[in-house]
Amino acid sequence: MKIRRMMGQALRGLNRNRLRTFFMMTGIAVGITVLTVVLSAGMGARERIMERVRVFGLENMMVWAGGSTDQTRMGGGSEEGSTVTATMKMEDAEAIRAQVQGVREVAPFFRGGQAEVRWRDRTFTAPVFGVTPEWADVWDWYVDRGSFISYEDNEIMARTAAIGPTVVRELFGDEDPMGEIIQVGGVPFEITGIMLEKGASAGGGDMDNRVFVPLSTYMRRVANVDYLSGIRVQVQGIRDMEPAAADIAALLQERHNIAPGVPDDFRVTTPTEVTSMVEEMQGTFNLFLILVAGIALVVGGVVVANIMLLSVSERRGEIGLRKAVGGKARHIQGQFLAESVAVTFLGGVGGVLLGMAGNLIMERVTGTPALVTWHVLAAGIVFSSVVGLLAGFYPARKAAAMAPVDALR
Amino acid sequence: MEQPLIQARDLTRVYQKDGTMGVQALKGVSLEIGKGEFVALVGASGSGKSTLMNLLGCLDRPTSGNVVLDGREVSGLDEDDLAEVRSRTIGFVFQSFNLLPRTSALENVELPLLYTDRSDLAGPARAALQVVGFPADRVDHHPGELSGGQQQRVAIARALVNDPEILFADEPTGNLDSQSSEEIMALFAELNRQGRTVVVVTHDAEVAAYAQRVITMQDGRIVSDEKNPSAPEARP
Repeated sequence: MKIRRMMGQALRGLNRNRLRTFFMMTGIAVGITVLTVVLSAGMGARERIMERVRVFGLENMMVWAGGSTDQTRMGGGSEEGSTVTATMKMEDAEAIRAQVQGVREVAPFFRGGQAEVRWRDRTFTAPVFGVTPEWADVWDWYVDRGSFISYEDNEIMARTAAIGPTVVRELFGDEDPMGEIIQVGGVPFEITGIMLEKGASAGGGDMDNRVFVPLSTYMRRVANVDYLSGIRVQVQGIRDMEPAAADIAALLQERHNIAPGVPDDFRVTTPTEVTSMVEEMQGTFNLFLILVAGIALVVGGVVVANIMLLSVSERRGEIGLRKAVGGKARHIQGQFLAESVAVTFLGGVGGVLLGMAGNLIMERVTGTPALVTWHVLAAGIVFSSVVGLLAGFYPARKAAAMAPVDALR
Repeated sequence: MEQPLIQARDLTRVYQKDGTMGVQALKGVSLEIGKGEFVALVGASGSGKSTLMNLLGCLDRPTSGNVVLDGREVSGLDEDDLAEVRSRTIGFVFQSFNLLPRTSALENVELPLLYTDRSDLAGPARAALQVVGFPADRVDHHPGELSGGQQQRVAIARALVNDPEILFADEPTGNLDSQSSEEIMALFAELNRQGRTVVVVTHDAEVAAYAQRVITMQDGRIVSDEKNPSAPEARP
């Protein structure tokens, strides 16, 4: 019998038993819906993390002052969990720039943590960064209006500031902040630049709430320190990342006189570390996903197998008749198998559609976007069809093995 | 002498139940049925007449003995070959019609053609429905929308659609009123007149009266095998 004819018979068989068909489809659709939602949410989460890695910059590394902790940071994060030391100096940044191969840009910075920023009677607590002009290049993050912190600002220890859009909104509302004087930790600064919107940082925080001032001004006039918080280093290409990171570590160990076996007083964080952390998380997540999807599909498969068995014993008369008029065992087996696969295929399509609807609801509720790719759709439909094949195998064989005379009785 | 169409020798059939002593439904039956005959197999319930029909119609295999159909020994064939024989040589009509529900009359008649390599299904099915006098404007109706007599006509058309040598009918009027029963039996008589061999299993004397030959069974054996003088005109 031709495949097309067999499928036709299968679809008619399903149509004749609509309630049973509905139950089987529901059993599978629920499983596939779960699969779709979980898979999409997982891909969405992964995409979000990778997006943060991209924000961090694939050609950038962070050299932090302070010994290593278990916490891997992706730049711009908090100081929690680290020990800040006073050993990282401006000269270290110069040495990295001069001596390490493959380095394109070096941006030393000091961040004093949260400081109170005041304009007239309004205050806003913002992270304040002392930076050099390279900062803008290594973050690929420039001013919207005015100008960023310049070399000259650093040379003359100017009291200029570039502020993020969040600061503008919080302090100035609709008023124009350009040229206004703000107090940062009690020291007056003139606003000379307004940053473009950057969005969330790799760590997930708002990056637009920052205040940037010249590094030298901040170190001497506000914080009164002679050391850096860290140095952001941009390499020429992704291939330069690992060797440059190793060279920087070696250089700093030498400059800081760190003997072998003694813990470093700095940390180098590269995107490779971050991505490998993401991969690790992804592995755990995938395991969970396989478990959830597996359970859902096994349950669906058991439902289908049960109802197919019921269907076979209830349709003995039809099976007997088909055999009496010349149907062979393989025709009967093929028909029931085709019914099982057709019902799970359709259930799979339904489940994928329901899952996509579920994703939309999830997005509305949690605000985190789910990522629906063709992989998800294909996985749903392929898995459901395979389940149909497995679940239908035994019932179909049972139907095919019925003696016509028994089936007709 | 022309070889008989159906030849059965020493057929026995034992139904095994739960490992206990089997029930012997047939206890050694031999008979011959020639081409173009119209035979009634009669007997009380449990006499073995349906068992005999199942063996002759290749729906079942005998415990011992053999059946030769149209010169071919069929008792030793496997399931697939038996299905082939049923497809080519035999048409069945059942008491309860056994039509597929929610399926049009036409598609019900097409069913046996699905298991052949014929590509045109509707053509032969329409022709068969016409032969049995089924109204052409109702071929798209489902069994639930048809009268009992019409349903049985659909079932007969289904039995005829592969143009079989032999038509087996098991209590074909068992679910019909007397008016429809007469019409259906007249149809069988007409089909027989056109050359078809017909074997009807029944316990109803009025139905048996249409046959030219009446074989009576009792307790798994043939107890009489007589020509029926009152039968409608036999084929010349």
